[in-house]
Amino acid sequence: MSRKNLKRLLIILFLLACRAIVPSAPHAESDDGADAFAKTIRPFFEANCLACHSADLKSGGLNLEAYQSMAAITQDRERWEKLVRKLRTGEMPPKGMPRPDRAAVEQVCRLVEDEFARADRLTKPDPGRVTARRLNRSEYNNTVRDLLGVALRPADDFPQDDSGYGFDNIGDVLSLSPVLMEKYLTSAERLARTAVFGADLLKPTMARYRAGQKVTPRKTPLMDYDVTGLSLPNATHVTHRFPVDGEYIVRAILGGERPAGSEALQLCLWIDGQQAQVIQFDPDRVASFVNDRQEIGGMAQDFRARVTAGDHWLAVSLLKLYEGLPADYNGPNPSKRPKPPPPEFRPPPKATPERIAELKKEFDTRLAETVPANDARIVTVEIGGPYNQTKGPSAASLKLIYTCGHLDGHHRAGCAHKIVADMAHRAYRRPVTAQEVNQLASLVTMAERHGDSFEEGLVQAIEAMLVSPHFLFRIERGQATGGTDAALPLTDYELASRLSYFLWSSMPDDELLACADRGTLKQAEVLALQVRRMLKDPKSHALVENFGGQWLELRKLESIKPDRARFPDFDEYLRMSMRRETEMFFDNVVREDRSVLDFVDGNYTFLNERLAQLYKIPGVSGPEFRRVDLTGTERGGVLTQASVLTVSSYATRTSPVLRGKWILENFLNAPPPPPPPDVPNLDEAKIGQAGSLREQLEQHRANPTCASCHARMDPLGFGLENFDAIGAWRTRDGKFAIDATGTLPDGRSFTGPRELKAILRAERDSFAEGLTEKLLTYALGRGLERYDRPTVKQITKRLAADDYRFSTLVLEIVKSLPFQMRRGEQAL
Amino acid sequence: MIITRRHLPRRTFLKGIGTAIALPMLDAMVPALPVGRTNVAAPVRLAFVYVPNGIVMKDWTPKTAGRGFEFTRILKPLEPFRDDLLVLSGLDDHNGNALGDGPGDHARAGASVLTGVHCKKTAGADIQNGISADQVVAQALGAKTRFPSIELGCEDSRTVGNCDSGYSCAYTNSISWRTPTTPMPPEVNPRQAFERLFGTADYSLDPATRARRAEYRKSILDMVRADTEKLNKSLGTADRRKLDEYLYAIREIEQRISNAEKDQQQVKPGMEKPAGVPITFAEYARLMFDLQVVAFQADLTRVTTLMIGREGSMRVYPEIDVPDPHHPLTHHRNNPDWIERVTKINCLHTEVFASFLSKLKATKEAGGTLLDHSMIVYLSGLSDGNHHTHEELPVLIAGRGDGSVKPGRHVVCKKGTPMTNLYLALLDRMGVQPERLGDSTGKLERLTEL
Repeated sequence: MSRKNLKRLLIILFLLACRAIVPSAPHAESDDGADAFAKTIRPFFEANCLACHSADLKSGGLNLEAYQSMAAITQDRERWEKLVRKLRTGEMPPKGMPRPDRAAVEQVCRLVEDEFARADRLTKPDPGRVTARRLNRSEYNNTVRDLLGVALRPADDFPQDDSGYGFDNIGDVLSLSPVLMEKYLTSAERLARTAVFGADLLKPTMARYRAGQKVTPRKTPLMDYDVTGLSLPNATHVTHRFPVDGEYIVRAILGGERPAGSEALQLCLWIDGQQAQVIQFDPDRVASFVNDRQEIGGMAQDFRARVTAGDHWLAVSLLKLYEGLPADYNGPNPSKRPKPPPPEFRPPPKATPERIAELKKEFDTRLAETVPANDARIVTVEIGGPYNQTKGPSAASLKLIYTCGHLDGHHRAGCAHKIVADMAHRAYRRPVTAQEVNQLASLVTMAERHGDSFEEGLVQAIEAMLVSPHFLFRIERGQATGGTDAALPLTDYELASRLSYFLWSSMPDDELLACADRGTLKQAEVLALQVRRMLKDPKSHALVENFGGQWLELRKLESIKPDRARFPDFDEYLRMSMRRETEMFFDNVVREDRSVLDFVDGNYTFLNERLAQLYKIPGVSGPEFRRVDLTGTERGGVLTQASVLTVSSYATRTSPVLRGKWILENFLNAPPPPPPPDVPNLDEAKIGQAGSLREQLEQHRANPTCASCHARMDPLGFGLENFDAIGAWRTRDGKFAIDATGTLPDGRSFTGPRELKAILRAERDSFAEGLTEKLLTYALGRGLERYDRPTVKQITKRLAADDYRFSTLVLEIVKSLPFQMRRGEQAL
Repeated sequence: MIITRRHLPRRTFLKGIGTAIALPMLDAMVPALPVGRTNVAAPVRLAFVYVPNGIVMKDWTPKTAGRGFEFTRILKPLEPFRDDLLVLSGLDDHNGNALGDGPGDHARAGASVLTGVHCKKTAGADIQNGISADQVVAQALGAKTRFPSIELGCEDSRTVGNCDSGYSCAYTNSISWRTPTTPMPPEVNPRQAFERLFGTADYSLDPATRARRAEYRKSILDMVRADTEKLNKSLGTADRRKLDEYLYAIREIEQRISNAEKDQQQVKPGMEKPAGVPITFAEYARLMFDLQVVAFQADLTRVTTLMIGREGSMRVYPEIDVPDPHHPLTHHRNNPDWIERVTKINCLHTEVFASFLSKLKATKEAGGTLLDHSMIVYLSGLSDGNHHTHEELPVLIAGRGDGSVKPGRHVVCKKGTPMTNLYLALLDRMGVQPERLGDSTGKLERLTEL
């Protein structure tokens, strides 16, 4: 090639490259566009696709010959988006067909995407319209807590909220049935009375929890074990909802037996992981049938403790289980009691010689048995109360209600208006009109007129606010001025509510409302400051609980029941610990403003002894969670956390399909379509019998209908096969060795979780885009539409540019068009 | 000042609220009991109160027979009802014995005590027993009341996992059997028992307050509805659809309130709705007894069983300094400390039973008191728990069965008299005359004679 020609070629290549990067100027159908289609796309189709997707064959209902120009791309956008995805992932052309080279595929995809981008620039920006959102259960609970300073969680008894687009805060989906309305009424009365007069005095009642755990008997004591007993199956863990602040009895009912001559047991009550009380319980002091061993089944011991209202994790464990056993057990710190004399055989007086012989045999057999060293256990926990319930309204309630300055009565006429106006301003999260205040205040007067007290009147007014649509719904109207009907800016109050329900699942606090009062919330620096403040606030845990709980599917953990026979280790404590690990991990990303890519492969996590046992990570003892470095282990990121591994498994076994689907949906933003209706299920009975799970799934994939999706899902899931259905590491599954290799449709292959995560990290663009879409959906409370695409792209781009920092993601969402504006009713 | 609803013109409520929607008048909900049979003779009621694990007999059985006997330690709490009590000694439940089936006396005691039938030894589904005395009554008289029978219990059967020596838990959990294969498990949660009897309404407030609050609530509903109707006009289509759901729900509730006001046919209980299972045994048992009282009083049923505990009960009684489970304690091997503790439990049971009797006695109805019209049988399926004795069981009857029982005596029956003979005699007094019941040999004849 001559020098001149080379130079010309370089220029052409340069221009081509530029076109790929710099989008062409907005123009309608041009020769250039027609050229690109004719020059690049059409030949590509002819070479690779038309064998099946021709006008004649139309495989899968797709006829690529129907498209002749660039304009066709935007006219049938959905289909072209799908086409790009399938080409990129290597799903098309299907296995067995000649594979086009990656550069050619990329060139076609770029061209199509440029066309999308051009079309997007031509369409007017549309912020969309969010339908009035009813407070969901978690928002209701948090809002009444912040509004009235009460600790009740009335919404826990409300019917389950429907969810859409993966979340339960979607305005269009949240409905309001008469049953729910009735609950709103009852709850409003209870809340208002509790805030003004204090919680109802409750009669003490008893609730019972049975553990039903399995203790594998041990003849010899362990020297190195969890002395707190919390992570042993001998303990019982419960999560109990305490209705009010007060004193409660926690009754532990024991089971099992101990060797005769053992010393007293130490029963320990734990509240939220803190040691609350220890009881010495000596089985020798109470009645039992026998004296050759300590039978403790049915014996009960009572703890008494003060507990605050709300959910608490309670546990009763046996401290130092292997201590205090008779000396011949050779355990740590043995019993100092003398060995009791062996029991004598005393036959019943009137028994026949045969019967006596029989009884003697039974007696001798029993005497020869060794009583296990670890059989004593807590079988049932009963919680009774409340006693000495805290009386009267809380200090927080008084402060929030009596804004006229004096908390102790002597209210004058003006007080009602002031109190009601301030409360309504907060309850409705916006300024209230004089008419609204008058109406509410008239309820106070009404009660007073009928002989009730001023406070009783306030109860009526508060009740009215709590059932008002202005409280129950977040209704947005936008600002009358400052925009066009196509895009109305939200008022500062509406923006404050969006922020607080996004980050706190609750109403705006005083500072946020003050910003709205001053009209400064939309100023960039004020907004950024508020967002950072809110993320640092402990209330942002709601984002972890509600967004994280749904995105990572953690909420499923509550209802999952791993098969007891296969996973005897799984108990309430492990379930709680799993959830806590992932929540703390997420919390850490929020508070420390970490990169969102930590979700994929952050090499640290938070563990207590129970989880560390499961993960076989040494050096973690006790119930407290602490940050643990995972460098050099197979774990890292949420994908290898027990919570996620468990929710993406069946009760009896792992499912590479479910796990693959989980990754595609939540990490790669490429959810597979639902399975076609008449696909045969895996024959569960045969799994692990005739062949490994992998072999069976491969047979399943031989069916071409199944193959197109499963070729994407299954390999991803197989990469995690070293983790069993509750997330413990394994190298065998029954009689088969684990094979954790996989090959993706695009040809990339991996062995084991570490290499799988490397691939996922390389896909960080997809990950970031998927996370952005999900968080934006959650923030807006509506499903995303095509017109949101540019917003998502832009946020994702800025996120990448700022090292994927979590706060950047949140801030960019908050600053985005759909978060700041709403489309007017007339515009469409 | 409390103003009753009669003085509340409903316009007053609406004044200043800016609405003029007609509301139905509230007809005050009167909490009085609907015992409307002022001129009708009160029916006879039958109740069985079962205590598990036998009783310390030396502190139960009166020394002398006939009238004027001295109340023993365990019977002492019942002394105020001397003239309402008939203590019966010498009745047997022969079919509770092993009869070749080996251990399992507790299961057999519970299963046979009201049936007089030797139950089949099985831990499986093929349970086989007889029909219990209370269920014979239920089947004969059930149509006359809302509930043919009511079964209550003070011990959740789940407290004990292991049922007796190869016998199904059904035998220890229920003394009441509708058919030989259908036990009637007792309701142990007072709140659920209450809701079954009276529905879910809460009657804890006084009627005037309740009426006033109901009116307030209507004003609130009125206000938010009017507000929402106005608001709705200014909203876009999607928002309006959501608020329409809200309006529909509000209107539906208003409608329901007005219907409830029109419906005055509901039976109203004479007690507050229980919150749940109380904590100490005494509170728990009293509440279950209260439910029996109101069920009889409102004539919701005529026959009940109440199990103070299931046979083989492992309940602990820390509140009376008995931290030991009941059952092992009864196998006291003549240890005086342990016997003392069992006696304390026995006394606690009769104390609670006494408070039940005093409520029955305090309840007036046509021609006397509820106690006068009742026959309350207090019994255990074992006498000596230590030796699993099924003979000479502790039994007493409280009440007069509307004059058909002559109390105030200690009657010693002929040795070997089956318990079921007593049941035949009691059933007869309710107008129910089965030919026989389990191992019965005839009607016990000494309930009225001296």
